Amino acid sequence: MIPVSVITGFLGSGKTTLLRAVLRDPAYAGSAVIVNEWGDIGLDHELLETSEENLLGLANGCLCCVTRGDLAHTLIDLAARRKSGAVTYHRVLIETSGLADPVPILHTLLMDPAISEAHRVEAVVTVVDAVLGAETLARHPEATQQAMLADRLLLSKTDIAPDTSALEARLAALNPGAPILRAVQGAIPPDVLFASAAKPSVLQHWLEAITTPGARHSAGVETISILREAPLPAVVLPLFLEALAEHAGEKLLRMKGIIRVAEVPEKPAVLHGVRHVLHPIEWLEDWPSADRRSRLVLIGQGIPQWWPARLLEALEEEARG
Amino acid sequence: MTPPALRALLADSLTLWGIAGRVEIADAGIRIITGDQVLHVTQAAPAEAPMRWWLISKVRRRPAASILGLLRSLRYALNATGAEPARARVAAPS
Repeated sequence: MIPVSVITGFLGSGKTTLLRAVLRDPAYAGSAVIVNEWGDIGLDHELLETSEENLLGLANGCLCCVTRGDLAHTLIDLAARRKSGAVTYHRVLIETSGLADPVPILHTLLMDPAISEAHRVEAVVTVVDAVLGAETLARHPEATQQAMLADRLLLSKTDIAPDTSALEARLAALNPGAPILRAVQGAIPPDVLFASAAKPSVLQHWLEAITTPGARHSAGVETISILREAPLPAVVLPLFLEALAEHAGEKLLRMKGIIRVAEVPEKPAVLHGVRHVLHPIEWLEDWPSADRRSRLVLIGQGIPQWWPARLLEALEEEARG
Repeated sequence: MTPPALRALLADSLTLWGIAGRVEIADAGIRIITGDQVLHVTQAAPAEAPMRWWLISKVRRRPAASILGLLRSLRYALNATGAEPARARVAAPS
């Protein structure tokens, strides 16, 4: 499976600078890079130092809407050329346009069988300008959406930002599970950015952010956390996910969870979802820490605070008969 | 499921679907009052298994085998916006 990571962030946040730095790392130098630029003249791809055949530009439209089909075709075509030996690469990095909504992009990556049979989504990295980020988040819903869907948030330009504490608090409220990293001119080990979100060490970092069950509210976006001591019967999981998708799918931006399943309590189940699209349940070999409680975080708009927990309890009660 | 727990879940569900209404504990279960409808939810008798719930309106009684089925029936009965279900779509295993 070819790992695919998405680099997103608002206009001017420093995505291309980050990508340039990443491509200078020997382990990432041979990545296939897909750059989406919005406008008639693409410039970003000119700034990237990588081999011509491994760099693809998708111009004339935003990746999340106009050129979404192009993304699918590009990935499929790339994979075919890789298979035939025409190109060599071990991972794909996608730089979105500054106005892109990552949801349709992830949807394409996850739901198109021709893509998902050969590719694995590893991480969504959102670059946030440390100087202008707070204002951008306040003014542009695209930037908020990009921050909420990140597996990792990267503050750029921290060398010229006087104080980032308010911005970091805002980002933590929007996406409590995503670690906030810092880099100047993209100087950060790429493995820190792109490690798989389901890796135990990464998962642990995310879980540590979830301490208080309930909900946090920020500009119409709620972060709802569910914490459960008792293991859940396995049958509850698909029913719960089905109900979430059916009744709250349009309002659910992101869902992540680690669940202790009664039938296999030693192997936690990891849940990931974007809107009503759910990643297949992943089973870890072991718990990432001594904390073996089930923890679930939902980020959404207009979902009543206690509805998911009440639904889960009702399903659990039925499953236990 | 206790009547208060069911009442709370159904009240939250109405909010989620954007339906204005009241959800009350009634003698025989839960009463849901919206602009133009009054619906009742009652627990099925043990002899009616595998049915667990009944959703009762003026014109019909709908059975439901699970809380999931009950929510689906209720949403349709209330003609909530977006009642067309967005089913879970599971990405291919990696």
